[in-house]
Amino acid sequence: MSGPARKKPSAASRLAIRIIAYAAAIAISIFFVYPFYWMIVNSFRTQEAVLSRPLALLPEQFDFAAYETIASIGGVSLTTYLTNSLLITAVATALGVSIMAMGAYALYRSPKLPLFGTVRNTFLVAIMYPNMLLVIPLYFVVYYLGLLQSQAGNYVGIVLSISIVPLVFILFLQFFRNIPSELLDAAVMDGATEWQIFRRIVLPLAKPVVLTACLIAVLLNWKQWFQILVISTSPDTYTLPVALLSLNTEYGVNFQATMALATLTCVPVIIVFILTQRRVMSGFLAGAVKG
Amino acid sequence: MTTAVATATPRRLLPHLSRKAAANAWHKRTLYLFLLPFAALTAIFGLWPIGQSIYLSFTESYTALSPQPVFVGLENFREILSNPDFLDSLWRTLLFTFVSVVLNVLVALALAVMLSQPILERGRTLFKLAIFLPVITPDVAGFIVWKWMFNQDFGVVNAVLHGLGLPAFPGVTEPVSAFATLTIVELWHHVGLYTLIFLTNLQLLDRDLDEAARIDGATRWQRFRYVTLPQLRPAIIINSVYALIEFLKTFTVIVVITRGGPNFSTNFVSYFAYTKFGNAQYGEAMAMATVLFAAVAVLAAALVWAMSRGDYR
Repeated sequence: MSGPARKKPSAASRLAIRIIAYAAAIAISIFFVYPFYWMIVNSFRTQEAVLSRPLALLPEQFDFAAYETIASIGGVSLTTYLTNSLLITAVATALGVSIMAMGAYALYRSPKLPLFGTVRNTFLVAIMYPNMLLVIPLYFVVYYLGLLQSQAGNYVGIVLSISIVPLVFILFLQFFRNIPSELLDAAVMDGATEWQIFRRIVLPLAKPVVLTACLIAVLLNWKQWFQILVISTSPDTYTLPVALLSLNTEYGVNFQATMALATLTCVPVIIVFILTQRRVMSGFLAGAVKG
Repeated sequence: MTTAVATATPRRLLPHLSRKAAANAWHKRTLYLFLLPFAALTAIFGLWPIGQSIYLSFTESYTALSPQPVFVGLENFREILSNPDFLDSLWRTLLFTFVSVVLNVLVALALAVMLSQPILERGRTLFKLAIFLPVITPDVAGFIVWKWMFNQDFGVVNAVLHGLGLPAFPGVTEPVSAFATLTIVELWHHVGLYTLIFLTNLQLLDRDLDEAARIDGATRWQRFRYVTLPQLRPAIIINSVYALIEFLKTFTVIVVITRGGPNFSTNFVSYFAYTKFGNAQYGEAMAMATVLFAAVAVLAAALVWAMSRGDYR
């Protein structure tokens, strides 16, 4: 293996290296993917079947009992949790992405305006603060805002508290930084207002990044649980992950039902991710590169 | 775009100063309006709870929610810092963070180097997809599945170990193995993002440098150590800081899998504070939160400083 004097490896040993490399990569991939596979397969298997053969790769026969069991959890129907997940994710994403796009644009356009620096620094401190410790006092905040009295209030509190997604905000900051300032300066010279510049120049340019931002916000809002658990005054405003958590902490946990609900929680995300993986991964990278 | 310019053009014909000033003020007003919703949400759901928690950390717990909380100064901090359980919890949190940061950065680097090999060209997208999948799937679901995979009766983990003729892994039933379980599960959940960051940086490397070193007779290891690794410094810093902040805050996995046990071996600060809060010990809970926040800020700053210092040597 040493130095420039080494011989070119023979075809046979190159093939061997290739096989070893692929075997290693496949083994590692299995470590990451197998839990999802195990979850889906076992949601269709009875508890007895799992106990006797935990490693079975396919169900002996498809047993849908678990999916019937979870049709109602804690007296609330599964469709309520599902609707909550879809509704909260959709509204928080639409609202959050609009607010973050405009906010990040303003910070990029005139970072030196009074208070702008303060907003930026506050945001940076807030994302460093341990999230779950911020959520506990959040309960008081939501209480003072009077959002704990009604179910509608609960929804408003949940949506507002999850709508700012730090990664997405940083993604926007990164994107705006790359817009050539001559373009905007020219528009200003021609007397365009800030609103016109944003609406007619910046937004059309930002279309791809807005799409990426929406995708990432959907994926990250879908998995939120702690804010929702803390703000909800009843299970009626729980989303799928929160329902899953309450199923997990119940006495006499039903293994098969847990796997079925976990499957319902994960599969939509897995499908969306596989269809959009290139965009999602590049968005994560752009948002992560500069904190 | 062109219409905006066209409709606005006549203004150029009125170059009065007052007009300009007015336009400038309007310009600023629009930007303030743009920023307002974001600033409001950051203030209400970021600044306010932080202020609230720092404020509560200086008050007597049972008066914390009353109209006139009693200030006790640093009493809550004195209380928790003289509590051996808290010091133990802090120490475990730091140990877990240290082990996890080092492990995640090393594993991510190894995975990225492996995936960047030309020999794996063909399946690279699939392998990346697999490693990144746990990052975006709901953590609660992933952790619950792992909890059952480590289960002594249902467990896949012990079934595999048994099949290989190895001794059983006690999982969350014993302190040390519970600690190890959390390390493995957290690695599974987070390492994909770090790997992706390394992988992208590896693909941006200057190939000429590597080629020059190869021609000069550098071994594979020498090239990695003296050519590749120095170029990866920014990525190593970013990943280490992200991992540090992430693992100091470890919480969800404890709620789902160990609930702080067994025998408080995984009772990390965030979870400890959460249970204190559940017992209405708000003052102490918030003092713990403040200590943890200080640790995050100080350690992150120190890490950035220590790692970027090398640039000037």
